[in-house]
Amino acid sequence: MKPHTLLALFIIPMGLIIAAVPQNKTKPYKLTAEELLGEVNTRTQYVTPDAVADMIIKKDPSLRLIDVRSQDEFEKFSLPGAINIPVTDLLSDAYSDILNQDIKMNIFYSDGTLTANEAWMITRQLGYNNNFVLEGGLNYWYDTILNPQKPASTSPEEEFAKYDFRKSAGQALWGGVTMQTTQGQSAASAKPVIKPAAKKKKAAGGC
Amino acid sequence: MGPLAINEIISENTNLFLAFIIGIGFGFVLEQSGFSSSRKLAGVFYGYDTVVLKVFFTAAITAMLGLLFFSLFGWIDLNLVYVNPTYLTSAIVGGIIMGAGFIMGGYCPGTSFCGASIGKLDAFVFIGGLFLGVFIFGIGYDLWDGMYLAKFLGSPKISTTLGLTDGVFAFLLIIIALAMFWVAEWAEKKFPIEEY
Repeated sequence: MKPHTLLALFIIPMGLIIAAVPQNKTKPYKLTAEELLGEVNTRTQYVTPDAVADMIIKKDPSLRLIDVRSQDEFEKFSLPGAINIPVTDLLSDAYSDILNQDIKMNIFYSDGTLTANEAWMITRQLGYNNNFVLEGGLNYWYDTILNPQKPASTSPEEEFAKYDFRKSAGQALWGGVTMQTTQGQSAASAKPVIKPAAKKKKAAGGC
Repeated sequence: MGPLAINEIISENTNLFLAFIIGIGFGFVLEQSGFSSSRKLAGVFYGYDTVVLKVFFTAAITAMLGLLFFSLFGWIDLNLVYVNPTYLTSAIVGGIIMGAGFIMGGYCPGTSFCGASIGKLDAFVFIGGLFLGVFIFGIGYDLWDGMYLAKFLGSPKISTTLGLTDGVFAFLLIIIALAMFWVAEWAEKKFPIEEY
């Protein structure tokens, strides 16, 4: 048989098959169940409120806060610079460029973490990178940044540093009051309390 | 799963390495098929040798069928495959310049390097002209960037423009290709090579 005939006999049926079958338009999920479980278990999607507050204050251009609650809730209260993508509209074409990109760090937040996690899981399964979840949601944000609890006087220094940061972050973001630290105060009044904390830290390092 | 590099199954460097290996294979096959001869290549314009048309059309059809079947089996996501954007004016003007250079020089850019690799002098001259052209384009970019970027159409596919599915268009293209092969064979008999 001539090679031309052979080619034609092979390629025409192949063409007929490909013309007859429906086009594969499924969007394949990019992660297997095990991979996703692994990511969920290691909690890679979470960003702490402290890290987010730090980025907002430093005006980090890579940060993009995405409020996945409804529009009403978004209008009542939202984090500075946040945009609103209600989770019900997550798959709308208008938002795909925002969610599927590799330049900005998208951080989803909702009241708790449930809705934000739903948004994260869907986008993650679509293979989108750079989407994260605000740890604890707005409720935890309120407890940490807006209304931080002063640590017990026996706490290690880092707790105080964290408290100072949160207090000043809260003020910088909403208070408009000049930043205050307890470090200055502690130098005068709480000095003896901090000393045992330093010891404790050393002991912890020894382990 | 595919494209491998975009889905980060292989790294960008592995991707380049594979491209290097495939490139060597491509060059080897071109040379072995006689594509390092400018007379053979120019033959397609005079009708005495249409192997260029047949080889490249067969390659296109094979790749097309392969990609469509891979997509059907879920091995590749065609939405992630890069499609060259279309700038209509520069595609037409560039096609005319390329075609004229092909007839006059007897090479296309890829095959000129094939010819050069076995020491063909005309291939070296062709490559010199190629770089000269690139240089002139770069130097005079301000003169023709308006034309270069005119009529941007995005990355359209003929199948969607015609309202056909990819599969039906592929089948039509196969029929067209086979018909062209038949015409090419006929031309080869009709216009035999004149030996000097």
